[in-house]
Amino acid sequence: MSKVIENPRSGCVLHGALQTVQEIKGAIPVVHANAGCGVINQLVDSKSTSVASGVSGVGIPGTVAQERHVIFGGASRLREQIKNTAKIINGELFVILNSCESAMVGDDVDAMTREIVEQGEPVVDTLGAGFNGNAYQGYENVLVDILKGIPGIKNVEEEKDTKLINIFGIVPYKDVYWQGNLEEIKRIFEAVGLKVNLFFGTFGGVQDLVDAYKASASIVFSRWGEAPAKFLNDKANIPVLNVDTLPVNVDEEEKLLRSVSQYAEVSEEDVDAFIEQERDYQNSFISQVVAARNKNDLSKRVVIIGDEEQSYRYAKILNDYFAAEVASIVIVDAKAKDELHERNNSDILNDLAEKVYYSQDKKEIEGIIKSSNAELILGSSLEKGLEEKLNIPLLEVSYPIYHSFILNRASVGTRGVLAFVENYESRIEKYEDAEKTSLISSFKSLKAEDKWIDISQRGIVSKDLSASRRKQLYN
Amino acid sequence: MAEKIGKHIAIYGKGGIGKSTTTSNISAALAEAGYRVIQIGCDPKSDSTNTLRGNNYLPTVLDSLREGNKIHLDDISVKGFGGVLCIESGGPVPGVGCAGRGINAAVNLLQELNLFEEFKPDYVLYDVLGDVVCGGFAVPIRDGITDRAYVVSSSDFMALYAANNLFKAINKYAPTGGAKLGGVIANSMKPGYHREIVDDFVAKTGTSIAGYVNRSLDVQQSELYGKTVIEAKPNSAQADIYRNLAKHIAENEDLVVPNPLGSTELRDWARTWGDRIYDIENGVVGGVAEAI
Repeated sequence: MSKVIENPRSGCVLHGALQTVQEIKGAIPVVHANAGCGVINQLVDSKSTSVASGVSGVGIPGTVAQERHVIFGGASRLREQIKNTAKIINGELFVILNSCESAMVGDDVDAMTREIVEQGEPVVDTLGAGFNGNAYQGYENVLVDILKGIPGIKNVEEEKDTKLINIFGIVPYKDVYWQGNLEEIKRIFEAVGLKVNLFFGTFGGVQDLVDAYKASASIVFSRWGEAPAKFLNDKANIPVLNVDTLPVNVDEEEKLLRSVSQYAEVSEEDVDAFIEQERDYQNSFISQVVAARNKNDLSKRVVIIGDEEQSYRYAKILNDYFAAEVASIVIVDAKAKDELHERNNSDILNDLAEKVYYSQDKKEIEGIIKSSNAELILGSSLEKGLEEKLNIPLLEVSYPIYHSFILNRASVGTRGVLAFVENYESRIEKYEDAEKTSLISSFKSLKAEDKWIDISQRGIVSKDLSASRRKQLYN
Repeated sequence: MAEKIGKHIAIYGKGGIGKSTTTSNISAALAEAGYRVIQIGCDPKSDSTNTLRGNNYLPTVLDSLREGNKIHLDDISVKGFGGVLCIESGGPVPGVGCAGRGINAAVNLLQELNLFEEFKPDYVLYDVLGDVVCGGFAVPIRDGITDRAYVVSSSDFMALYAANNLFKAINKYAPTGGAKLGGVIANSMKPGYHREIVDDFVAKTGTSIAGYVNRSLDVQQSELYGKTVIEAKPNSAQADIYRNLAKHIAENEDLVVPNPLGSTELRDWARTWGDRIYDIENGVVGGVAEAI
């Protein structure tokens, strides 16, 4: 019996592939689907779009398949669309994204791609149908397919660049701070003389996909980067370094850089110097964090809802900085272990949290939060309703975020984590101030003739207020 | 849904088994008996109604849909022998596109064009492609489009296998308003055990025989002339076979939901027939020795 999922947040393969390609500078997605597939992508992400490729939403080239293209096949319509797109958009790479309908109809997209490549256009295709999986798989699939196609349309250098590193596993949009996080990773590696292929955003681009073949190593920061790294390992013998999460403090930065030095040319002295500088920077703020902890009780009982890498990362930060209790972690993007990936973080996650769940259903998540006695929710905007219903403050850190404008804010590395610390402290302070204010105002409303029993029944002094009563009092 | 005009009958069967020939002869026989008949070919090959219209060119519904122009009934239909209104749904070229969706779209379009209200048929016959390979090919037996289906089958295992697949589809859709089975049209019957095999199959599946159609040179010859047997050889015994079949189909109200055999059951059943045929061919006498 199938199970109902309320508020699914993982999207489909096409959705993920589209989000991925539109953030590669110079790459132009061409969607072979009906019009809605492209438009819905814009609707779900209109709050956080940066769009390095220059095309997004209704501007995305697409075949806008009609019924006749389903019945008679849509390959010739696709040919027409690619040719027209290449005429009016100056792309370094055109990426044809297949859809559910073209996959079911069986359009020979590969043949169409070969035909256009023979005519001199830089085109690759990805055959994943939307129903093949979620958006995270879309990111992996499209990267593998693009990397497969690159040697056929670009000049790929075989000689390795001993200072170049591929960065995989930071999924555009699904990591809401992806742009800032990529920049932070770039900052860390460049500080010790290394270069990075980020692929996405301001500092990425099509050339990174070409240069990926000459990198000294691929670093994989989440399970969703395993497939492209494995592909490059098979094809170009590029070693793979799997790390658990993006770095959350100077110690993890150091560990990362020391691990990479096994594969890439990096001077130990440079690493030492950089780490010392980072440690000084981080420590300079620690006293302020301690002061904040003295002012407010920051060691809250927390429920984290997000994708695997982020949840793991935030749990570590909460432990490190605030001695917070992680009551539950709800992973929305993955199972503990799947057949396609090597990663299995269940033991580490179980060490960090009392309970670990794998779900994206709103109702189930609500039940988990209720049963956890949490004082704070780290989640997405989809938990906003629960914040109000359960009167537990929410800090929005995971996908999707509707109530915050994010450009290049990071949440990793020494700088990114400090930004998270600011947000965490601010959210708690704001909530507790509001609670104090409303409590004071409730007391002020008391009249001399009020009897204690009435006051008690009105719930003003009870710690155990019902959600509706709290709302009535505090809003 | 508005009340259906005329009896709507779907005719299925394995490719090459003689569906179009049988359907066209039934249409011709019904027309000869004075009924208003529509025959809709639901096959991308679009050759269902060839023998009713002397092999003349007829644009298919989907060809017209592809052009994108406004479609009129006159553009996609032609009157053939006895006034039978011939229509071909058409479809993509082999290996491209989705023929199942095509049939769906063509049937929807015919309804939008008020075909049945305009023509006021007594009988509408849908000649549907081969096995029910996907949802699109089950359209004529779903959603109340037809209320009865017949399956054309020879005594060959693969033809009966296809019939069994259709039974599965009927079994699935009948409870939600889909068509029921009128019976099996036993085609290409030759002397010997052929009838017995089909009889045994219908007994096993709780269905019945709508009629036996013998293998006949008359059918081949008539087709070569681009005609039905009813038109080309009206006085032949074969024409009478089709007339009787048409009469049975016109009058039969004994519709059933079949009990299809499971895959293993079907294979086991076929194997027992394999053994029996071997014995027949080799003159093995069954029974206990003392009884002979």
